[in-house]
Amino acid sequence: MAKGMFVDTSICTGCKACQVACKEWNGLPGEPSHFHKVPNRPYPVAFNFTGNSYDNTGQLSATDWRHVRFIEQFNENRTEGRWFFSSDSCKHCTDAGCLNACPVKAIVRTDMGNVFVQQDVCIGCKYCIPSCPYGVINFSEKTGTVHKCTLCNDRIHNGLGTACAKACPTGSISFGEVSELKKKADARLSQLKGLGFTKANIYGYDEAGGLNVFYLFMDNPTVYGQPLNPIVPQRRLFKSAAITVVTAIAVAVAALISFRERGMKKETEK
Amino acid sequence: MISPETQAPHWEWYYIAMYFYIGGIAAGAYFIGSLLELLNRENLRSISKTAYYIAFPLICITPILLIADLGRPFRFWHLFFYTKDAAPYMNHTSPLSVGTWALLVFGGMSFLSFVNVLAEDGRLTSPGLKKFHVLFSRIPHKIYAAIGSFFGFFVAGYTGVLLNTTARPLWEATDPLVGSLFVASAASTGAAAIVLFMLNRKAGTSETFGRLEAFDRVAMIIEIALIAVMLVVAGKYAAPLLTGFYGVLFLGGTVLVGILIPLWLNWKGFKPGAAGGSMATLVAVLVLFGGLMLRISLVQAGQM
Ligand code: SF4
Repeated sequence: MAKGMFVDTSICTGCKACQVACKEWNGLPGEPSHFHKVPNRPYPVAFNFTGNSYDNTGQLSATDWRHVRFIEQFNENRTEGRWFFSSDSCKHCTDAGCLNACPVKAIVRTDMGNVFVQQDVCIGCKYCIPSCPYGVINFSEKTGTVHKCTLCNDRIHNGLGTACAKACPTGSISFGEVSELKKKADARLSQLKGLGFTKANIYGYDEAGGLNVFYLFMDNPTVYGQPLNPIVPQRRLFKSAAITVVTAIAVAVAALISFRERGMKKETEK
Repeated sequence: MISPETQAPHWEWYYIAMYFYIGGIAAGAYFIGSLLELLNRENLRSISKTAYYIAFPLICITPILLIADLGRPFRFWHLFFYTKDAAPYMNHTSPLSVGTWALLVFGGMSFLSFVNVLAEDGRLTSPGLKKFHVLFSRIPHKIYAAIGSFFGFFVAGYTGVLLNTTARPLWEATDPLVGSLFVASAASTGAAAIVLFMLNRKAGTSETFGRLEAFDRVAMIIEIALIAVMLVVAGKYAAPLLTGFYGVLFLGGTVLVGILIPLWLNWKGFKPGAAGGSMATLVAVLVLFGGLMLRISLVQAGQM
């Protein structure tokens, strides 16, 4: 009975209530102040704004477990355009690259299907970071370990939904049983298609063995910064290892030839 | 499709790339030494001995580098033992996990071989070690030489497989060739380290140098061929490796200074003698330099 979330980006308003709720519930610190004083200016100056629409974190990190993306598609003189919002987080992949890569069993899957980092086990080797195809998990210098969304592990194991879903005022994020959520997603997709949104699609049924947190997008997933058919890195492991073994054998043969006995000619050492 | 938004682990070059490099030299040298031992090449015994003298001290450095890069260094033993199950732990889908175990086995085997050559040269002074040597010498030396060279190859190659088994664009695009490249580089830098050590101690004959030179030549040819194929396979994703600072390190340091020039010098041939000795030293130094640049450029360019 895997729990998950369905993020219907067609009704997201980009209010960032989910970002705030996530930080509050999980006790995550804020980012360094966006303003600081510079010499000869009486007022504080913004220094770490992304400059990309209303995006305020730019990416997910060890302290930003939710990230609302703002995708502006306007023409030159801004007479027409579209503005997409999409709240992003860990997808709790069924075949999770981070979990496969973890050498110490710090990253585990709980009985509710969520992928969870055990803070008391993590050694901070950082190998999970490049192993996540979604750039979700990240390292904290402060704790020396990695952090990411837990699917509100504590809440869901006590009968509550996730904090972000609870806070979402439009119902864009919904929490529940994955199979139930899929029914809801399919219904919404056919409704949108009926209304003429032919590009609408669902992202996450097949990716990485199925994502427990999946999305309804109004355009190609790449527009929302999500890769099409990402390959879970470990699915390439066997081939990579096999080719390396073949090369090792080739090097060994080269060594056998270079160091072989040359006829009767024997040179003695020194 | 290669993911557009992945994050870099921010591994420090002076820990991780350095480990890949030093581990590679130790593994390459050990492999050459143990192969000669397995082949019973008594007349090339000086190569085996040198190899064993190099491998163990080098492999002793590597855990320090690895542990220093951890966010929680004092938890390094979690790599071997999972407390919640109270059992040893290995994750077979993680090259990092399997590789750490391989490093442990390789370290053990290179220690045995090291003690062996010490005893052979009559340098074993500590009575405890002497007793230990007598004890483990009941196992034929060839057995752990064989085990050690297998795990040596593992240590040399898994680091490349580890990079390939991620979603970082450069590392994913160069899949599945970095493991092979690191194996070839380990063999060539291992041979170079042996040459350097032997020249330094004025050990070895023209035959030993000739053999090592011949082997290094083949290893470098394999290496340059793999690099060519890798760049073709990676296509546009190879850009971080070909441009900017890491482009200079990779193309200038590894390809030109570390492979092409030594290959050319090697091809011309040199006799280790008064003048040849300095030439052999130069080639060995260049090869070792190229190996380091290879690790740094691949590890760091993938994190840009
Ligand atoms: S999205 Fe990334 S961090 Fe989340 S489960 Fe999948 S691989 Fe792990």
